[in-house]
Amino acid sequence: MQKPKQHGYFRRFMADYGIVLALVLLCVYFSAVTYTEQQPTGAAGGAQLAAEIARQTPAGARMLIAVRGSRDDAAFADALGAGLEASGRTVVETVKGEPVDARRALERVTQAGGRLDVIACSQAAGKWSVFDNLATRFPALASVQVRVPRGYRGSNFLKADNLLNVANQIAVIAIVAIGMTLVIITGGIDLSVGSLIALSAVVSTLLIQKYAGAEQAGSGGMLLASLGGVALCGVVGLFSGAMVTLFRIPAFIVTLAMMLVASGLAFMIAQGQSIYQVPDSFIWLGRGADLGMPRAVWLMLGLYVLAHFLMMRTQPGRYVYAVGSNPEAARLSGIPTGRTLLWVYALSGALAGLGGIVMASQLKSGSPTYGQMYELYVIAAVVVGGTSLAGGEGRVFGTLIGAFIIAVIQNGMNLTGVESYTQKVILGLVILGAVMLDMLKRRGWRLGGQAK
Amino acid sequence: MKRRALLAGLLVTASFLTGCGGGPPADAPAAPSGGSTSTAPAAGSKGTIGLSVLTLTNPFFKVIADSMTEEARKHGYDVAVVSGEFDVAKQQNQVKDFIVRKVSAIVLTPCDSKAIGPAIQEANEAGIPVFTADIACLAPGAKVVTHVATDNYGGGKEAATAMIEALGNEGGKIAILDFPVVESCILRVKGFKEVIAKHNTDHPSGKIEIVSQLNAGGAKDQGNKVTEDVLQAHGDLAGIFAINDPSALGARAALEKAGKADQVKIIGFDGQPEGKQAIRDGKIYADPIQFPDKIGVQTVEAILKHFAGEETPKEVLIPTALYRKADGEKDTTL
Repeated sequence: MQKPKQHGYFRRFMADYGIVLALVLLCVYFSAVTYTEQQPTGAAGGAQLAAEIARQTPAGARMLIAVRGSRDDAAFADALGAGLEASGRTVVETVKGEPVDARRALERVTQAGGRLDVIACSQAAGKWSVFDNLATRFPALASVQVRVPRGYRGSNFLKADNLLNVANQIAVIAIVAIGMTLVIITGGIDLSVGSLIALSAVVSTLLIQKYAGAEQAGSGGMLLASLGGVALCGVVGLFSGAMVTLFRIPAFIVTLAMMLVASGLAFMIAQGQSIYQVPDSFIWLGRGADLGMPRAVWLMLGLYVLAHFLMMRTQPGRYVYAVGSNPEAARLSGIPTGRTLLWVYALSGALAGLGGIVMASQLKSGSPTYGQMYELYVIAAVVVGGTSLAGGEGRVFGTLIGAFIIAVIQNGMNLTGVESYTQKVILGLVILGAVMLDMLKRRGWRLGGQAK
Repeated sequence: MKRRALLAGLLVTASFLTGCGGGPPADAPAAPSGGSTSTAPAAGSKGTIGLSVLTLTNPFFKVIADSMTEEARKHGYDVAVVSGEFDVAKQQNQVKDFIVRKVSAIVLTPCDSKAIGPAIQEANEAGIPVFTADIACLAPGAKVVTHVATDNYGGGKEAATAMIEALGNEGGKIAILDFPVVESCILRVKGFKEVIAKHNTDHPSGKIEIVSQLNAGGAKDQGNKVTEDVLQAHGDLAGIFAINDPSALGARAALEKAGKADQVKIIGFDGQPEGKQAIRDGKIYADPIQFPDKIGVQTVEAILKHFAGEETPKEVLIPTALYRKADGEKDTTL
C-alpha cells in the first residue's frame, strides 16, 4: 500500500522533526488571525502622508504635526515635516510627545491668532481625543482636518519585530531546555531548573551589588558575578547527579528536593526582596541586539548549534544516548555511565544558571520569584520537541522547535487578546495536540498499537 | 491510505486550531483583529488598552479588571486583560506583546515594583503611555503617567477612628497585626498610630496603649498564632487592629478559642466578602473598606484625561470608607 518515496532527505527530516509541521500550522494560523490594519510608520510613512496631504491641500496651507515621543514617531514627523515644507506647505508647529503637549500647541496657535488647515498625525496620535470636537473648544480651528497615513493590510504576527520578540521571549526557556533534553535522554528528569534560574539571578545580582561596585560595576565584575551564579548552579546540578549515581535515588526525588532547596536559598540570600542595584549596562545581554537580532537569541542559537554538534558528533554525546536507551548494556560495554550522568546534570544546572543570568539582565534585577513553574514549560518544550520521557531518544533542535511552539502560542494569544484563563487551557490542549500529532505520525497514522 | 490518514490528521489539527481561534471573540470582544480600526480617528473603536494585573485569583484584581473594562467600553476603548500571576518575566512578555499590538495605553499592577522597570521603559520608548493601579512602580527611569491606588494612609487613620469609637471612654491596651514588607500595609499602620497618638494627648484619661505590634503576614494562620501569643502576654487586651481581613479573621479565631471574643474588639481592613460577613455577624467591629471598582474607573478616567491633553496628577488616591455592623445588615451583596 505504501509507495516508496524518492524525497529521502525530506522524509528523513520530517521523521526527525515532524513537529515542524505543527509549528508551521500555528504560524500560518496566527498570521491569518492577526491580519489587520497596519499603519505606515517611520520616515516612509511620514513621506507618504506628506505626499497625500500635498495633493489635497493648496500651497501655503498651514499644518500642525503631532506624533508620540518614540523614535519611530520622531522619524515619521521629521520626514512628514520635510515633505510638507518641500511642497510649499507651512508647518506651524511640530509636537513630539504627549496629548498635553498637543493641547498646549493648539492654545499657542490660537492665542497667536494663527490659522490651521490640517493636523497631520501618526496613527496613534490621530486617536488622541484632544483633537475631538475642536470646533467647540477652539472655534478658530473649526475647519481644521485631522489626517493620518492611509493604512494597509498586514499580519501583526508576521512582522519582523514580532518574530524577534517571540524568539527573545523564549530564549530563557530554550536555553534551559538544552540541558533538560540531555537529562531526559539519559532517562532522568530535572525539576530544579526553575529554582536554579532564581538562585542564579539572585546570586549574580547580589555579587554585583556587594562586591563588583553595585551601580558602578564594570563589565569584568559583572562577568565574574554572572560566572559565579552559573558555576553555583552547575555545582548544584553536579550534586543532583551525584545523588542519582551514587545513591541510586530517583532523579525525580533528588531534583524535587533540590528545587525546594534552591528556591529557599534564593529567598534567604535575597531576603525575599528583588535586588536591583546593578549598573544600566547590565542589560547588555538581555536587551541589546547585534545585526538586528537580540543578543539573548544569538546566545540561544549558538548554544543549540554547540549542543547539536556535541550530541551528534562527539563520543560523550553518543554516550548520553547509550546511557538512556539501556543503562546496563551501556555499563557492560564500558561506557562510563556514572561520569556521563554527572556531567549531564551539572550541565543542566549550569544552563539553568545561564538562563537566570539572561532573565536578570532582561529585568535588570534579580528576584527569588523568578522561574516559578519554568521547569514545567521547559519539560513541555523538550517533550513537544520529540524527546521520549523513557530516555534514549531525542534531538536538541527538536527541543528548540518545541520551545518555539510554546512561544508562538503564547504570543499569538496575547496578540489576539485571549483572556489569561483561556490561554492556559489552550496552551495545555495544544501541547497535547502537538505531541499526539507527532506520535500518530511516527506510527504511520494508525491508532493504538505499540509506540516506536 | 497513508495519505488519507495524513489528511485526516491535518484536518484534526486544523479544526483544533480554529477551535482555539473561535474562542477569543466570544471571551474577549476586545480582540482588535479584523477591520475595526480605521484610518479615520473618529470612527469605531478608539483603540485598545492593555491591562496586565498581578493575579486574577484574587477577587480584588478581578474587580479592577472588570470595572476598567466596563468603564473603558463606555468611552469607546477595548480592554485586553492578561495576568502576570506573580511572574514579572511573564508580565514583561505581556507588555512586549502589547507594544507589538500597538495598544493605545498600558495599565499595570506590577508583579514586582522594581523589576517591572525595563518593561515600562520599553513601552516609554515605543511612545505608549503607562498607568499603574494599586501597586506602584518604584524603578528609577521608568515613566508612569498616573498611579491610582487606595489611600492606605487615610484608611489607617479611619481604622484608628473606628478603634477609638469601639473602645469608648475607657481606652485600653491594643495590639497591631502588621505586615511590614508591603508598602501599603506600612502606610496603614502609620496613619493608625498617628490618630491614636493624637487621641491620647487629647484624652489623657481614656488612653489607648499599643502594647504589641507583630507581623502576622497578612494571613489567617499567622494572625491566629500571633494573637494567641499576644493574649498570653496581655490577658487584659481590649482591641486589635489587623492590616487586612485574613489576619483579622485569624485573630478572631484565636479570641474565640481563648474565650475573649467579647472582651477584644477587632478592626480589620479591605472589605473582602468574608470580612464584610464577619462585620455583619459582629465578629469584627469595623473595616475601612477599599474600592477596587473605583480604582478601575479612576484609571480609565486618567487615561481619558491624558488623551484629551489635560494635565494628569502623578497619583490618584481613592479614600476608604468605614464599614460597620449596620452597613453589613443593609448590604444586599452578602
